[in-house]
Amino acid sequence: MGRVIVASVGYTKVGDHWDKSILDLAVEASKKALKPYSNIKPDVVIVANMFSGQSSKQEHLGALLASALNLVGIPAFKIEAACASGGVAFNVGYRMIRSGEADTALIVGVEKMRDLDVPEVSLALSMAESAEYTQFIGATFLSLNAMLARLYQETYNVTREELSAFPVIAHQNATTAEHAQFRKAINVDDVARSPLVSDPLRLLDCAPIGDGAAAILLTSDRVDEEDEVEVLSSKISTNIFSLYEREDMLTFSATKEAASKAFSEAGISLSDVDVLEIHDAFSVTAALSVEAMGFSKPGEGAKDAAAGVYSLKGRHPALTFGGLKGRGHPVGATGLYQIAELWLQLKGRGGLNQVDGCRIGVAQNIGGVDTTSVVTVLARR
Amino acid sequence: MAISYWRRRDRYYRLLGNKCSGCGSEYYPPVYICRRCGSESLMDVEMPKTGQIITYTVLREVMAGFEGQQPLVLGIIRLDNGVKILGQIVDTPLEALRIGSRVKMVFRKIREESEAGQIYYGYKFTTL
Repeated sequence: MGRVIVASVGYTKVGDHWDKSILDLAVEASKKALKPYSNIKPDVVIVANMFSGQSSKQEHLGALLASALNLVGIPAFKIEAACASGGVAFNVGYRMIRSGEADTALIVGVEKMRDLDVPEVSLALSMAESAEYTQFIGATFLSLNAMLARLYQETYNVTREELSAFPVIAHQNATTAEHAQFRKAINVDDVARSPLVSDPLRLLDCAPIGDGAAAILLTSDRVDEEDEVEVLSSKISTNIFSLYEREDMLTFSATKEAASKAFSEAGISLSDVDVLEIHDAFSVTAALSVEAMGFSKPGEGAKDAAAGVYSLKGRHPALTFGGLKGRGHPVGATGLYQIAELWLQLKGRGGLNQVDGCRIGVAQNIGGVDTTSVVTVLARR
Repeated sequence: MAISYWRRRDRYYRLLGNKCSGCGSEYYPPVYICRRCGSESLMDVEMPKTGQIITYTVLREVMAGFEGQQPLVLGIIRLDNGVKILGQIVDTPLEALRIGSRVKMVFRKIREESEAGQIYYGYKFTTL
């Protein structure tokens, strides 16, 4: 089986792009990813997006982007798996190259969120849950994660300060990340004083709403570079659809299974992982994610973060450019921002955010409350 | 929205879930295949109307369609047959909300589309 290489990446800053459409953003990121390899014409374009129909009254994004990039003729399509769209699209591109179906794949995640007002964004996001039994009664993702956070704090005696640790780490790392939405440090008091949006969650527990696009150029091992970044594995798993249908709500079993399979296929163990991008849509999500992957014991994710384990200089550097909380979370693009950031780290191009000497990076991207989870392992050769 | 609502009226009005004919497991929302034994033989059955709060939140940022209803109190409730259900909790002072509180189902208006538009009804819960 041939090797699959992340040849290059391109992305926009995350935030308010009032002057740019969803296609403008996707083209901008794509051009940046394609620029270093003007000799490469992708064999396939895969677009990751969650709700362009809601935000832009636009579907059929695959052909739309391929046409805009003068790539008419090649296969092009959109992948949707809620906030895991980016990770799933990456997985599909990776599989197409491994299977020999394609030699090169352009994978582009994009989301236009700011054209909608906040209640409309909450509605669009809620389509990743049951329309009939969750959305119908008015429950948003914020409220589901808030109920999970209350259960988490109650079950494991997690304090407000401990829960705040992941957002504090995220913002700290985002201060020196040029593409981040929020380049402002916060402390645990800021989190504790921020408005209560769905108790116990406060505003600073939650990833923001923003526009953005991230593109990845994947190739077979034709591209010859010494410090190339190789995809070691990418695994998808799913959970029982709605949070409240699960017997054990505090175990992210989709993440657990995806991580276990991805680590096994990559032939790595937890201690081999040098840099980690997790899906910190909410503080509690970050904690349950590191627990499911095995980096922390059940109930200790937030406590470990508070003890510095996941800080840039800690044992498991995570959210190295700010994560979803600091860099921002343009939902369909998020999984590909994570891949782009791992690539920067593994190439040694992390600037002030560089994790020294890193060789293996892991990204975990989820849709819903761990309803779909994708875990990807990259390595520098 | 009106048709998809009408289609589920018994689910919303009577908490009609289903039960596996093979192993007796009960579900709400109803399932197509029993999660426990894999049987596809399931019959509709009403859920008990009482239970207790497992976790809850007071949501202050509602989604489109629920404007004017904030804050919205939401809870995950374990019904007396063990099935967990998500629902709004109403007619309960916020300071009286507790994990473990006993609740019962009440029939309420969920939302309305406009003054002349569709009105949606369904279950909510109130503390006993």
